[in-house]
Amino acid sequence: MKKTKLLPYLLLLPSMIYLLLFFAYPMLESFQLAFRREGQFLNLRVEPQDEAAVVGTLALQTDVTVLERQRLEETLPNGRTRPFYWFRVEGLDTAGTTIEGWASQANLFIESRTESTTARVVGGESAREWTLDYVNRMLNDYRFGSALGTTILLVVLILPLQFILAIIMALVLQAQIRGSSLFLYIFAIPLGISDLASGIIWYSIFTQRGFLNSFLVGTGVLESPYIFIRVGNESWMIAAIVLAEVWRATSIVMVIVVSGLQALPRDYIEAGQVFGANLWQRLRYIILPLLKPSLQVALILRTILALQVFAVVVAIAGRDVLSVLAYETYRWYDPQRFNSPNMAAVYAGFIMLLSLGVSLFYLRAVRSEEEAAKLL
Amino acid sequence: MKKLSILVIALLALALGTVVSAQDDVTVTLASTQFNVVEETEKAREILADFEGGTIDFVPFEEGPLIDLLRAEGQSGAGTIDVIGSIHGTFPTLVNDDVLFDLTDLLASIEEEYDVSDDFVELGRMGTTDYQYYIPWMQATYIMAANNEALEYLPEGADVNALTWEQLAQWGQAMQEATGEAKIGFPVAGLFHRFLEGYAFPSFTGGMVTQFRSEGAAEMLRFMRDDLWPYVNPESINYDFMNEPLLSGEVWVAFDHVARLKAAFDESPEMFVAFPAPAGPAGRGYMPVVAGLGVPFTSPNPDEAEAVIRYMLSPAVQSQVLSELGFYPVIDGVETEDLPEGVATMLDAVAATVGADDAIPSLLPIGLGARGGEINEIFRNAFNRVVINGEDIDTVLEEEAVTLQTLMDETGAACWAPDPVSEGACQVE
Repeated sequence: MKKTKLLPYLLLLPSMIYLLLFFAYPMLESFQLAFRREGQFLNLRVEPQDEAAVVGTLALQTDVTVLERQRLEETLPNGRTRPFYWFRVEGLDTAGTTIEGWASQANLFIESRTESTTARVVGGESAREWTLDYVNRMLNDYRFGSALGTTILLVVLILPLQFILAIIMALVLQAQIRGSSLFLYIFAIPLGISDLASGIIWYSIFTQRGFLNSFLVGTGVLESPYIFIRVGNESWMIAAIVLAEVWRATSIVMVIVVSGLQALPRDYIEAGQVFGANLWQRLRYIILPLLKPSLQVALILRTILALQVFAVVVAIAGRDVLSVLAYETYRWYDPQRFNSPNMAAVYAGFIMLLSLGVSLFYLRAVRSEEEAAKLL
Repeated sequence: MKKLSILVIALLALALGTVVSAQDDVTVTLASTQFNVVEETEKAREILADFEGGTIDFVPFEEGPLIDLLRAEGQSGAGTIDVIGSIHGTFPTLVNDDVLFDLTDLLASIEEEYDVSDDFVELGRMGTTDYQYYIPWMQATYIMAANNEALEYLPEGADVNALTWEQLAQWGQAMQEATGEAKIGFPVAGLFHRFLEGYAFPSFTGGMVTQFRSEGAAEMLRFMRDDLWPYVNPESINYDFMNEPLLSGEVWVAFDHVARLKAAFDESPEMFVAFPAPAGPAGRGYMPVVAGLGVPFTSPNPDEAEAVIRYMLSPAVQSQVLSELGFYPVIDGVETEDLPEGVATMLDAVAATVGADDAIPSLLPIGLGARGGEINEIFRNAFNRVVINGEDIDTVLEEEAVTLQTLMDETGAACWAPDPVSEGACQVE
């Protein structure tokens, strides 16, 4: 008896460990990054040794005077010896008192290790402190508001379109008309294409010498190419992104809806037909309410993915004109740009909170309707 | 039976020989953030295949992962990488982590054979006087390229090799009037921050950081917004490399890094001319780009690593890198006669840039350490807010100058060329 009680948990254990190790732990760590500053200070020592007692601490960028130097040698595993210097330095600590002690070359910037008489503190031990500076910096960043706005606008524009299209596509497949399996293949093609690739495809359609312009100029509709994607023409950029996203990701919703449709009991629909319900009535009063659980899953999935939209936007709108939250995250993380994992963590955490909030909202909204239905 | 024993002996000898020669043949791992595009990697490997002191394993890297790997190897003490090849901007982080050998002796012995450019050697010392963190490997800069069809619209009296910003704007206007399209292009999605730091600001203000909110800077942004940008192709916001829009004819006049223009000059050398970037009231700003070679403490084969560096600075290799990969030599006396036509055209423009009377060499930011990327964002923000978002010039410069000053103060970075040398952190005037 005891064994059977434990068994389910034992079976769950491997996946729980996996989730904790590879999802929960890194997520927690990166969430911490958003609120934790790695301050640095330099401990001066009584002797030129890493473990020696601490005399006092200096802040980064403090200018110090070199009083004495000691050259040590370290033999490396590859057989080379490397000279390693310790300096006895004097400088003002944060309280304004002059202190002196030993510091290693790794923590000082010094023009010449053998001759210079001054140096600057550039490294040391880390001290962790909690801070809201990063959050404030995000909220005050001049691109934050527009990135949030664009992201939400995209969600609002893309999602309804995708769901209407996906339901129509699923019904076409379900109707078993001739060649419906061919439709399935056609609908499924974008599933195999990465978001960056689809962004590039749509960019090459809308660009100045792209397919669309070539077509319009070739057929004489336009005299010279119309530049869709440019500064001051943001609505066309948004339109191109919406088209690319709808094209790329609708079939995922369709797959979920199709599987939901197939699980529906045929009896209800047939009963509806017997009582003379037309297609619209069957859809509105039988199919859609029964599909709700599938739609809920698809809605949560798509909203979360839409909040993370990145590659399509970068491919179509460049980087500096139209920004979304996920691109801002990357912009702060990129070693060539801000190189600030802390700020990236703030943005990532913000996206996560948004997704969490939206998911909870969907779950509650749908559940309360079910409960309401029970009461009736 | 006899035959069999001969066969066995022969096989043994063969195996032994393989073992012995395998021991002789050391594999030197060269981790490079340059040439990490597949075609370039292949060419680089071909060029390095002739090395006689062993085999060079050329491993392309992205900058971030390379820094992380070196950091991890430094902490564990066990290394796999013998030589690091990267642009100057990668090295401050490595210097901060203290993971690189001092190559002063190696440089001295190389300089007995060839003269290595002094400016770059100094950059390789990273602000110290007696620690050679990297040895210059190759150099590049940014130039302009123009389609031959554009030349007839050059403003009267303008010399393409001594162009001013005003003339570039007039040129753009003439092309717009003739074709109905904006024909000038900038890589706004690419290395545009280098254009602002090394070209736009210095040629209008004579400085980079110190003059950030000067009247010259305001005048430059006004010029960009009102006079030049109307004739810049609106799709510039999406251009990463300029070679493609040049080849497609979408853009006729473009600014970019030589390596990012090279494909256009390789494919149709007869279609394009190359020339220096324009000059402003203060002179002709230009930014030399240098890549260097360093050896980490954890290198498994430090002797061979040094031999590889010596080999890579030899005239034969430097000239092959120039003709096939479009980066310019850092040593004197490299053969430049039998170059492909496109490379030769670009080389002339580089020489004209460096040798111009009014040239203002503007170095890559020095001393910002791991925060080197932030200065790029500040320059980009200033430009984007004024030219793209249409915000007020003085407000933007004032606000971004505060951010810039904070960055300078927090890193303690002293001024670098073209700004005059400073005591302590560089100050925005």
